[in-house]
Amino acid sequence: MAPPRTVARLLVVGLAASALTACAGGSGERTELTFFQFKPEAVAYFEQRAAEFEAQNPDIDVVVDNVPDPETALRTRLVKNDVPDVLTLNGNGTFGELASAGIFENYAGDPLLEDLNEGYVEILQDLGASGEGAVNGIPFAANASGVLYNVELFEQQGVEVPQTWDELIAAAQTFQAAGVTPFYAMLADAWTAQAPLAPLTAQTAPEGFFEARFAGDATFAEGWREAAEKELELFEYTQPNPAAFGYQEGTVAFAAGESAMLLLGSYAVPQIRSFEPDFTVGSFPLPATDDPADTRLVSGVDVLVTAGAGGAHPEESRRFIEFLMEPGAVQDYAEQQVAIPALEGASNPDPALAGIQPYIDEERLVGFDDHQFIPAIPLGPLLQQLLIDKDADAFLDGLDGAWDRVAQRRTWGLGAVSS
Amino acid sequence: MTTPTSGPNTIAAPPRPARGADPDGPDLPGRPGGRTRRPRKSREEYRVNWWLTALLVVLSLTILVPLYFTVVTALKTQDQLGGTGFAFPTEFAWGNFAEAWQLTEFPRTALNSAVITVGAVVLTLLTNSMVAYAIARNMHRRLFKGLFFYFISALFVPFPILMLPVAKQTALLGLDNQVGLILLYVVYGLSFNIFIFVAYINSIPRELEEAAIVDGASTWTLFWKIIFPLLSPMNATVGILTCLWAWNDFLLPLVIVSDPRGATLPLVQYVFQSQFTTNYTVAFASYLMAMAPLLVVYVIAQRWVISGVTRGAIK
Amino acid sequence: MATSTQAPARRTGAPAHRPDRNRIPRTFYWMVLPAVVLFLVFHTVPVLQGVFYSFTDSPGYGDWSFVGLENYVALFADPQVRAAYGFTFRFALLATILVNAIALAVAIGLNGKIKWKNTLRGAYFVPNVLSILVIGYVFQYLFSGSLPAIATALGIDRLSTSILADPQLAWVGILVLAVWQATAFNIIIYLAGLQTVPGELYEAASLDGASSWRQFRSITFPMIAGFFTINMVLALKSFLQVFDHIIALTNGGPGTSTQSVGVLIYRGGFQGGEYGYQLANAVLFMIVIVAFAVVQLRVLQRREVSV
Repeated sequence: MAPPRTVARLLVVGLAASALTACAGGSGERTELTFFQFKPEAVAYFEQRAAEFEAQNPDIDVVVDNVPDPETALRTRLVKNDVPDVLTLNGNGTFGELASAGIFENYAGDPLLEDLNEGYVEILQDLGASGEGAVNGIPFAANASGVLYNVELFEQQGVEVPQTWDELIAAAQTFQAAGVTPFYAMLADAWTAQAPLAPLTAQTAPEGFFEARFAGDATFAEGWREAAEKELELFEYTQPNPAAFGYQEGTVAFAAGESAMLLLGSYAVPQIRSFEPDFTVGSFPLPATDDPADTRLVSGVDVLVTAGAGGAHPEESRRFIEFLMEPGAVQDYAEQQVAIPALEGASNPDPALAGIQPYIDEERLVGFDDHQFIPAIPLGPLLQQLLIDKDADAFLDGLDGAWDRVAQRRTWGLGAVSS
Repeated sequence: MTTPTSGPNTIAAPPRPARGADPDGPDLPGRPGGRTRRPRKSREEYRVNWWLTALLVVLSLTILVPLYFTVVTALKTQDQLGGTGFAFPTEFAWGNFAEAWQLTEFPRTALNSAVITVGAVVLTLLTNSMVAYAIARNMHRRLFKGLFFYFISALFVPFPILMLPVAKQTALLGLDNQVGLILLYVVYGLSFNIFIFVAYINSIPRELEEAAIVDGASTWTLFWKIIFPLLSPMNATVGILTCLWAWNDFLLPLVIVSDPRGATLPLVQYVFQSQFTTNYTVAFASYLMAMAPLLVVYVIAQRWVISGVTRGAIK
Repeated sequence: MATSTQAPARRTGAPAHRPDRNRIPRTFYWMVLPAVVLFLVFHTVPVLQGVFYSFTDSPGYGDWSFVGLENYVALFADPQVRAAYGFTFRFALLATILVNAIALAVAIGLNGKIKWKNTLRGAYFVPNVLSILVIGYVFQYLFSGSLPAIATALGIDRLSTSILADPQLAWVGILVLAVWQATAFNIIIYLAGLQTVPGELYEAASLDGASSWRQFRSITFPMIAGFFTINMVLALKSFLQVFDHIIALTNGGPGTSTQSVGVLIYRGGFQGGEYGYQLANAVLFMIVIVAFAVVQLRVLQRREVSV
């Protein structure tokens, strides 16, 4: 079947032309909102919320995009100039970087922020903002990073909740002597090593360490040495082969009563409960010093809601965000996910949070230090290396070296502190 | 390698094995258990080397063990996990498949993968062979020789260089979807496919074409009527390779497809992996379902695939 | 996979269009035009953009400024980059050699006088049908769960924990997966090559009393040298770009002990936001890959001729 020459040429040109002008999909009656959802544990919750919203708003079709590796997915979308209409994000360094680049809406003075806990709004502002006084995200749920513990096991061994660093180590020694793994290490997942590092650095590094580090007036070798050494000390009390097990194995083992404590935040509780432990999961802030008054609870914005700046459907996005931020729904989410609702005066009655609630009430809070960290330096893997090699000097010098090199080759976005 | 004596072969019909090929095959996948129509030559009645056979059978276990492992894990309940994992399930948890089916929205995802794969294969065969023909028959001209090397050189460009720019490009043109993926597979496939098509076309004697030219055939006619049918063995090879690539690729869909409803099977496994880390058995059911379609096709068309790739490699 | 390794261009063949020797039918231009245009738009232009951005400090979106060669200078001072190249070279060389050695051996076996020839060939090709990422997840579970359980039962202490958790051993897991998956394809190519060797040669050699090894060295290998060259070049090229295996097995860990160049570019450029800097890394990487291919072709083709 040889097509005549002209037809063939037309075909060829047509193919090329159609390839270059392929339609981007016709829009139907309903407005399509892209909802970028980063939190794997909350997929079901947000999909259900989106469905409820669609039922109430038949003119809107919410497409939920649950992404693995959210940072990469989001940056790829930015490259395409394809910022999602509505997003959930973790309040971390990447959020700060992107907020500084002016990618998200500004909610400063927005009535949506009125019902929310001021502290969390400030944490987001500190991470980065598109301008002076701008707020580029709405806190939705917060988490706390400390220690999760097996309440019954503590009672059994007669161990009190540690108030100081020494008491924490003493507790670990007690459990070890009793043949119980004190802390179950999950180093196969590098990020788990960052969970105890945040409270350690927050309580042992000098005040304003990151500002000083950006200005070149401080080093990790000095400021973070105590934290690195204490982290190493904690990991002396783990099961053998800490690097062979990950988050999955750790939460399973803890739920099975194999270890007394887990160095993780409140976000791990739903996963632990999914394995049906027959004991109470409790929590306490990680004390890093010998003065109980110094102990601070590390808390950050686990989930924030925001919209792309200059989106195509501002009105519909707004409606959806207002729907997501309904106080009842925020509270529901917090109770489902064992999170701290970001609402003013709200709290989560969950027993797993009972141990840290006083710190929240007294506002003895501090943000995650590692969110100030330059995202280009792989802190998780470096920390994993430290805990395998047990070489604090190499780790700290490596951080200083990497930090200086990145600072030298970058001219933008060096955290919120430089402006 | 002689060219098949038959007329144009469609992809679905296996090309007849050429004479002079390996004496023992590739046999036609004919009637089950049926003898092939070829008279068996005395040369084939060699003495079987049982030691070698045994060795190869044992070695092939390295291939089959991970697959066995996937199947039994997918069929277990959570509490049967642990140990070496090679134990046969004590009870079958078929529910794993139902759950994975739902979680990964399997029908839609598999359809996406299938559409992309079929589209890429068909378009690749129709276009790449044509480009290769034009280049092969004009190799003595500087322009075409230059084009040949231009396409080949792309083989050595690591994908990360163009990853973000191409994501930008496709989005600008409204191609950040399945259509765009098909196009990219066709275009990126040019490098390798031209390389093997050209080598093969060079081995086709030109007398055929010259005779047709004398009869007044146009170049299009030459290509579609004479050359394209002769390319069947190569088309089989390229088709198979393109199919495997498009079906199993992960990085390109990851950066190109914007709409979650356009996700392909490997992409969904990646999403799934991060969402349900606690659910090994369902995860394995999902992996098995992602591998199954192509595996089944392969098992059915196994001889033809092997012979296709084999003939393709010999020009 | 074509075996022709000499320049494909031959002026000696009769030109296709005798009637108008110097006039090329316009149709040929139409045949290549769309392909060239599309290739330019979707490959060359993006590559050039990538090269351009490697001279900037762009995060991949928004504003950027020109930094000249600074990214390239910084690359050479970056221990992460050095480590990634070191890992990638070691891995790719080992994987290439292993894959080709195993594939050649198995292909010779499959070409021998065995029973169930077609079934066995079919079985050996199976890994090539599977997605690396998906089968990688299966291997990850095998390495971290089953293997330690087996080693413990056998009393091998060294392997009683997951090799993927050991910075000294994790690369072995990646190597095993890569070899397992890639050998399949090379077996088929070598098989194709072996079928081009006329049986009479072996018969003659057997009559002269040549040993099997001698037959392999003097007959088999020289006859399939072209296949060997192509396989080596393509295998090395693809192993240098190792990516999916690592994402599925270790994610570059433990620490950064299995971070390949591809993974580093992806991670640093996207998660880390150093797009311009990692593009400089990608350009350098491209130069390295091309250099490897050129050297390989030179060396191997000289061998082909000299045999």
